[in-house]
Amino acid sequence: MTAHARRFVAGLIALMIVTQASAAYAYLHLSISTSTGTKLLTWRGGQVRWFATNRGVSGVAPSQFQTEVERAFATWQNVPTASVSFQFVGFTSALPSQEDGVTVLGFEAEPDLERVLGATSFVVDLTTGDIVESDVFFNTIFSWSVATAGEAARFDLQSVAVHEIGHLIGLGHSALGETEIRPTGGRRVLASSAVMFPISMGAGSIADRTLQPDDIAGVSALYPDGGFDENTGAIEGRVRRSNRGVLGAHVAAFNLKDGTLIGGFALGDAGEFQIKGLAPGAYVIRVEPLDDGDIDSFFEPGDIDINFQAVFYDRLAVAPAGGASDSFDVTVRPK
Amino acid sequence: MSRLRQVGLPWRPDKADSAGRFAVRTGSGAQVLRQGSITLAILITCCTAWAPDAAAQDDVLVGHIELSGGAGIFGGAALGTRDADLRTTTANQPFRLFTASSRMAMGPLFDARLGVALSPRYAVEAHLGYGRPELRTELSSDAEGAPSITAVESVDQYVIDGGLVLHLGRLGSGVRPFVTAGAGYLRQLHEGQVVVEDGTVFYAGGGLKYGLISRSQGLVKIVGLRGDARLNVLSGGIHVDDRVRRHAAVSGGVFVVF
Repeated sequence: MTAHARRFVAGLIALMIVTQASAAYAYLHLSISTSTGTKLLTWRGGQVRWFATNRGVSGVAPSQFQTEVERAFATWQNVPTASVSFQFVGFTSALPSQEDGVTVLGFEAEPDLERVLGATSFVVDLTTGDIVESDVFFNTIFSWSVATAGEAARFDLQSVAVHEIGHLIGLGHSALGETEIRPTGGRRVLASSAVMFPISMGAGSIADRTLQPDDIAGVSALYPDGGFDENTGAIEGRVRRSNRGVLGAHVAAFNLKDGTLIGGFALGDAGEFQIKGLAPGAYVIRVEPLDDGDIDSFFEPGDIDINFQAVFYDRLAVAPAGGASDSFDVTVRPK
Repeated sequence: MSRLRQVGLPWRPDKADSAGRFAVRTGSGAQVLRQGSITLAILITCCTAWAPDAAAQDDVLVGHIELSGGAGIFGGAALGTRDADLRTTTANQPFRLFTASSRMAMGPLFDARLGVALSPRYAVEAHLGYGRPELRTELSSDAEGAPSITAVESVDQYVIDGGLVLHLGRLGSGVRPFVTAGAGYLRQLHEGQVVVEDGTVFYAGGGLKYGLISRSQGLVKIVGLRGDARLNVLSGGIHVDDRVRRHAAVSGGVFVVF
């Protein structure tokens, strides 16, 4: 580890069955603030070498764990418009929680995180934004499955691994989803259109084995390849309220032709947003506040504005191939 | 020199001379006007010489080029409805975030045609049409109560097509009806003209030609009015689903035979 690197101990990016306070440096892409500006977290060269722990759990032997996690890695590696690759090095007795300079994925008991299925941590070079080490644990307090079609009452290991590996390569959470408050506390997912949505689709579901357009756009923007920059476009603008920017507004672009949804956030002081990875064409732009119970799944506590109404932009926005739309303002009103 | 038959044109017979002769063919034969007054004659004729018995009529001039231009309306058509769906754990029961119903709105149309008569009945014709319709998408049923609105963008639309024209003879009033059909290329540019969507167009329709002026000499042989009505069937281009769209179009203008 370099002198500039340190672990984001408080920066676990977790997949939860319900939301729980957990600081997260997350929006579409993970980033850190340095003295020279904001840096996106990426792996230098897009190459990741990883180890698997030699510990299994009930129903999942270490070799099965390795197989399922390799499939999850392959899901990201096979995105044609991104260039990120993974190499399994071997099994290790080291725990994911150890800061040892190697990337380890494995089961680990985290009873205090009773709503967290898995989480990803990082060691980052604070100068370059390069990820030096990233570990993923899968919480053994839950029941896990490697069954091809999933198993009722057990969480699908491959699905959760796809989500956590998304964090491992630098993706934050997506807000393309809807939740509801459970009578017993926490939130339940009603629907989502991204593997990177912060709340699991639930036990028995294998839906998150398959990346969604929002996930593909996210990884492609970080590790562009296969004509991504040339063949896709961006839509950019600002979310404004009373002539000031709306920080943290969730912006979704809906493709009229194929029905895909890709999201982003207004992040700058002026409410700037940019959504990349869009197929050229016309898009509906919809702006909504984050659910108040979900904010800490996306941002550090701060000035996130959630006190406004969901709204559509009254023009169709056009994403050109290899470029960006003319910037426009979407004005929102208080609730 | 024969007497000019007055067809609403404000030229006196004594102005005709041998330097430039302009024929207005009527049922009784060609008459002579001054060539230098062609432009004015066309304009005034369009305004005043509308009476059927005054309209000069001509047979189709085989092998001659016909140019026409005009303006009209390109009708609108529904492009389809698509829901913004989120996945749920229940198969085939997505969560609808909102609904988007799109339509290409009716808009002005400008067109130009170039044709050649192959026989007294048949002609081939190429057509260039330009319009600037609006793509209008009605957004409704938002899961979080976003107010329903219609989002809009302007589209530049070009149609380049060609087809066969069948002349159906002449009506008693001197109006010449025709039917036509063909196919061509559709080019639609989204607002900002940075994204192009191509497609194909098939059309069938018909119209009327009404000859106003003709002459046997000189570059311009016939000048008249033309009206067209077409049903355009569009595939590709800007679309929401894979359905073909049927757009009616009507236009009117002037034709000139050289």
